[in-house]
Amino acid sequence: MGAYRHFPVLMITIPMLGAVLLPFLGYLRKRWVATATLLPLAVSAVLGLLLIGRIPADGYLSYELGSWTPHFGIEIRVDYLGLFMMLIVCGISLLALVFSMRYIEREVEGPKLTAFYVLFLLLSAAMLGFTATGDIFNLFVFMEILALSSYALVAVAGNRNAVRAAFKYLLMGAPSSIMVLLAIGFLYSVTGSLNMADLSTRIAESSYSEVLIVAYILFVIGFGVKAALFPMHMWLPDAHSIAPSPVSAMLSGLLVEVSAFAIIRVTFSVFGSGAENLIGGTVDALGIFAAAAVLFGGIMAIIQKDLKMMIAYSTISHIGYIFLGITAFTAEGLAGAMYHVLDHGLAKACLFLCAGSFIYVKGYRRIDDLKGAWRQMPWTCFAFAVASISVIGVPPTAGFISKWYLILGNIEAGNYFYVFVLLSGSILAAVYCFRVIYYMFFQPPKEGAWESRTNEASPSMLAPIWILSFGTLFFGVFSYLLIPSLLKAAAFLL
Amino acid sequence: MRLLHNYHYIGAVILFCIGLYTVIVRRNIIKKLIGLNIMETAVFFFYISLGYVDNGIAPIRVGGADPSKMVNPIPQALILTGIVVAVSVTALALSLVILLYRQFGTLDVDHLMRDEAEEAKEAGE
Amino acid sequence: MKKIISLLFISALGVLLLFVVASMPRMGDPESPTREHVIPRYLENAEEETNSPNVITGIILNYRGYDTSGEVTVIFCALACVLAILGREKRGRIHSYVDRSPVPASPVVKTMVRFLAPFIILFSVYTILHGEISPGGGFQGGAIVGASIIIFTTIFGLWEASRRIPQKFRVPLEGSAFIIFFIVGILGIVGGGNFLTYAWPNIANNLQPSVVLWLTIIVEIGIGLGGAMVLISILFAMMREEEAIAPTA
Repeated sequence: MGAYRHFPVLMITIPMLGAVLLPFLGYLRKRWVATATLLPLAVSAVLGLLLIGRIPADGYLSYELGSWTPHFGIEIRVDYLGLFMMLIVCGISLLALVFSMRYIEREVEGPKLTAFYVLFLLLSAAMLGFTATGDIFNLFVFMEILALSSYALVAVAGNRNAVRAAFKYLLMGAPSSIMVLLAIGFLYSVTGSLNMADLSTRIAESSYSEVLIVAYILFVIGFGVKAALFPMHMWLPDAHSIAPSPVSAMLSGLLVEVSAFAIIRVTFSVFGSGAENLIGGTVDALGIFAAAAVLFGGIMAIIQKDLKMMIAYSTISHIGYIFLGITAFTAEGLAGAMYHVLDHGLAKACLFLCAGSFIYVKGYRRIDDLKGAWRQMPWTCFAFAVASISVIGVPPTAGFISKWYLILGNIEAGNYFYVFVLLSGSILAAVYCFRVIYYMFFQPPKEGAWESRTNEASPSMLAPIWILSFGTLFFGVFSYLLIPSLLKAAAFLL
Repeated sequence: MRLLHNYHYIGAVILFCIGLYTVIVRRNIIKKLIGLNIMETAVFFFYISLGYVDNGIAPIRVGGADPSKMVNPIPQALILTGIVVAVSVTALALSLVILLYRQFGTLDVDHLMRDEAEEAKEAGE
Repeated sequence: MKKIISLLFISALGVLLLFVVASMPRMGDPESPTREHVIPRYLENAEEETNSPNVITGIILNYRGYDTSGEVTVIFCALACVLAILGREKRGRIHSYVDRSPVPASPVVKTMVRFLAPFIILFSVYTILHGEISPGGGFQGGAIVGASIIIFTTIFGLWEASRRIPQKFRVPLEGSAFIIFFIVGILGIVGGGNFLTYAWPNIANNLQPSVVLWLTIIVEIGIGLGGAMVLISILFAMMREEEAIAPTA
């Protein structure tokens, strides 16, 4: 046992420690805060990269906190999918942070900047802890950290719309957290355990099927609100479009995916073995909602006039994709869902950061205003186009690979209707994405909109955008690096 | 009749529903937050009842107390965490309410949303 | 209309939940699933393993210490949220509506509060330090400190209170709970165990119980201090805001 077994817990606690120390630094030296925020996240990312190859695709790294055996203490259990998720979280948060160092001063008043960075670090740390934990109550604790910090990050700009959107988000998010807590109580009342692995064996033996079914339903509602699954999505368009752009990138590119990942955990790690017959009905219903989400999100995205609003509705549609991969209950579907998490995280973060660049440089939020933007901001526009292509799912990008496996998984499960839904979701995505691309590249600019010479956003804002859009291409071309292990890990989880 | 034995749980369910009703239906946002707290209390109540054992005593090993009679300590430990979380959510929500009131001059949800619809209309024109 | 729909939805949910709780194990059943799995070991061995007769404290700080470190982060996060939304009170002279109230507090109230506040704080110190033997602990003690400051602030105003607990004193202490948790966690790794191991494997067996006891007390103090400071800072941030929205007389 090398020192690397301590890495997961350090990955989680070092950003938390950074967040706790940051106000003190902000009190002494305000200028260093933004740079100091990068450090703990970078350490986490390095530790995560060092873990690559240490965790087999069909195994996991179990870490007992306080050296107590898992049933008694808390266990951190990082399997291949968990590490995959943690690396996505580290990478995208780092890039969004680099972007926000320049951007955020526009939207957040000076005295609140320290609090913004503290919340940003806490959000990343909570997402890391949320994906890594092997204890169901610990899952709730981290969910609360990420929920609280995301409510505040939506409101951080402090104007009317931001506060209202944050309050709407809170009014949906807080009851959903309580439902998760209730579900944990139900599970505990009939199993007497809180450890996920232990729970799954005890659920398989349990005779209290009614309690288990309702607990699962409550979990799905609770995490579904956080993941903005279709009928529970009302908070998302406002919150994601009004929040500062790096925060939108975090919420849309990571938070909803992490919540979907929690449903994967609950479905497969807790209820998976021996309880499929219990949760079958709920999973079928989940599939119907996911299909509705794909279509609803796509149609709503087409009729939006605000760029960030369009991207937000596109997120609702793509959450539907991820859930369709989960409900297929096949290795291909699950691997496709996980790959979609990666692809969607990169592409959506890129789109939101591009939208942020337009707002930063010109203050334009509406799609009409972007006509002819290509001449003045070519780099941003090209990155936007690449990410959009990935959102649609055109071959050289990662979006194609993930959709391919999602469709394969659903064919194998025999859900031909969902295959049709997935394909029509791509067509809808093509409509809303190509509209923007057409405006950007092939339309003459509006009078007065782009006449004065405009510079691109600064390099520290362009670099994250380009790394993200390059990432969608890279993981599209070199998908063979990840897909076999993901398939193996998914088969292991099933 | 298990239902009659589990009357604490019934109380928790009723409280939970009252809280949810308050959150959904009430127009005043402070009342919505009170509803949220009622929901949380219901869940705490459920947990603590869960830990009870017939003729139970507090789980403190002082004075030769019999461990087999002690109530379950886990729900109590969990709920301590739950209470702190509830306090944090309430603090955040109240500070949002302060800001909402300062900017809109009202605590009525319908009013807030009507403003939003009007603003959207103006933006569309 | 909306009322009727939500009433229907909620009653459906209520019936479902009632149906579920009816099929749960009987409340108070000594043989229910919750009591047979991990509980016996906690109740039997917690005193020796965690060196705290109060099993709940043993669970919170030791068995499930990682949860508690998350919990102190939640409350710190709440402070960060409030500061991000409202901003911290300004250094220097501050007034809240209490300071400017046209009706001053009566001398009886003022004297009583001035007399009681030290005792409340003393009681909170007792609650914190005695947490591993009797009901109590860091959070409870911190909340009691917070309550005493709330009483003081409502009577004497924000200016008086923030003069006694100035910002430069609160800022470093707000995060102390998690910092202490992190240090204890790293000491656990250094001591040869995992993160947050209290009973270090690398030291002599007869020393372990006292190390566990001291670490427990240190963590309790950290939680109490951090929790109290966070609550006070939240209170001050909100009090300052009341000035802005209170109707000016």
